[in-house]
Amino acid sequence: MTHIFMILLPIILTVLFSLVTIPLLVWMERRVAALIQNRLGPNRCNIKGIRLGGIVQPIADMMKLIFKEEFYPKHIKQKFYYILAPGIVFGAAFLSFMVIPYADDVTLNGFTYHIQALPIELGILWFVAIAGLGVYGIILAGWSSHNKYSILGALRASSQVISYEIAMGLAIVSFLITYDTISLNTMVQQQGELLFGFIPAWGIIMQPLAGLIFIVTAFAETNRAPFDAPEGESEIVAGYHTEYSAMKFALFFMGEYMAMSASSAIIVTLLFGGYQIPFLNTEVMHHHINLIFIGLMIIVPLLSLGFIKWMQKNNSSDESRRRETKYGTILITIFVIVFDTFLFYLLTSGISYDLGSVSIMIMQILTFAFKVMMMNFVFVWVRWTFPRFRYDQIQHLGWKILIPLALLNIFITATFVVLAGV
Amino acid sequence: MGVKVVPRYGNTLKEKSYIWAVVSGMRLTLKNFTTNLADTSKIPTCEYPESQPSDITERYRGMHRLTKRDDESIRCVACFMCATACPSECIFIEAEERLDGVDEKQPKSFKIDLLECVFCGYCVEACPCDAIRMDTGIFSIIAATREEFVIDKEKLLSNRGIFGKENSRA
Repeated sequence: MTHIFMILLPIILTVLFSLVTIPLLVWMERRVAALIQNRLGPNRCNIKGIRLGGIVQPIADMMKLIFKEEFYPKHIKQKFYYILAPGIVFGAAFLSFMVIPYADDVTLNGFTYHIQALPIELGILWFVAIAGLGVYGIILAGWSSHNKYSILGALRASSQVISYEIAMGLAIVSFLITYDTISLNTMVQQQGELLFGFIPAWGIIMQPLAGLIFIVTAFAETNRAPFDAPEGESEIVAGYHTEYSAMKFALFFMGEYMAMSASSAIIVTLLFGGYQIPFLNTEVMHHHINLIFIGLMIIVPLLSLGFIKWMQKNNSSDESRRRETKYGTILITIFVIVFDTFLFYLLTSGISYDLGSVSIMIMQILTFAFKVMMMNFVFVWVRWTFPRFRYDQIQHLGWKILIPLALLNIFITATFVVLAGV
Repeated sequence: MGVKVVPRYGNTLKEKSYIWAVVSGMRLTLKNFTTNLADTSKIPTCEYPESQPSDITERYRGMHRLTKRDDESIRCVACFMCATACPSECIFIEAEERLDGVDEKQPKSFKIDLLECVFCGYCVEACPCDAIRMDTGIFSIIAATREEFVIDKEKLLSNRGIFGKENSRA
């Protein structure tokens, strides 16, 4: 039973991270955009008066898209490719999640489980291959739509991906030189070490320039602002998805958010220590498991208290909001009491090595989820800060700035590695 | 003639690298985000259906109204000045003789098609008797059919001004 569950766990996590985050991300995008622009954003959707800050909104959006008419423009000849295109975008975004390690390898009953949906060693190559595949869907959509705006959008997307994939590949090469491996899990394990004994050896600290280039190219790969020229509505209506409606459009939309989430996951894995909690790698956690449990027993109630205070301050404008706040306070308090009692019980009854492994795994998965959400927030934050690049500026940045910088970085890294003999 | 030298920006290395511009832009939006998240009551937008706008000034042109004399009879003398001035031709007046001796003429019916109206206020300026005004402050006009948007004399007379000057002093 445990065996099957542990094998299925990474697949379940992949589905959670890719599909379940989409509505969350749509909600986050709209609320963060609103708060950045000094407004409130969609907060009216509710189920029996319970709003939860409007988190029901994406469900309403989805219902609308599902029940819209399945409309096919008459001029479309290649209907098969027309329908296939959003599927490719969606599928590619989904598949690039498969190699992300969500936690360190766990050994239970003498069997080592990889918390990775596809436990292969060539993780980063898989990501580069699949992430580049998504643009085939966009090209196919632009071509089969039989529409000038669509084909222009598709051409923009493909040329953008071509020019940025080079810089991205070169940035990844510097990471490969630094980590000396292509397995994502080994990379994350190396990032759990400490540099000079007090700095976490995260990728962004080891390779700041390559890290920056990788983040910029990841933005361009996902066609997100400020690199969303393929959807530039001021010139080409909606780009490659001009002719799409209803659920076919929703697939493009969800594919975009999933690609964003996948990019965040790979950025976190390469640059921000993956599932590693700063200063606490898996071995250290095994050594100090009691201390960590005690720390959790203090931190979780404090965080909950802060959240309750925030809720009472900002979510009590009228009667139903006050009721919601009251229920929320009661639920959180019950959760904290149960959580602390449970941890206290575990502490007093003694923590075995297996139990420690499982709890460390859960903590690492949660850390990874938190980091990915933070990176998604950065994606949203950047989108609502910068205007869209002009098309020639995109090409200029890609070919004349990022590629030479990435080459220079490889040169410096290689020289350092050879001279220092690391 | 003096020559004004316009400074050219964007040529230094610091400006060309864009890093500082990027950082300062992102700092600004993050500051907005965190201050608004920490205290949503500071957000200047109003939650519309519950809280109504409080900044409607005397010059705001809302829904029209017909003013009354001190004896509560209609002030309009059906001179057709407003209908003539109206650029969207949305005022429809039918005149009749006024028999109570206060004046000679009065409107039998006075209709305004609010869907045609562009709320320019020319009718208010054209009126020689200060009989039509737009000081009701009504900005949201809701109806289920097109016909309901054509408001008649009774409705126009029942509208009230919100700035204290109820009856016309003209």
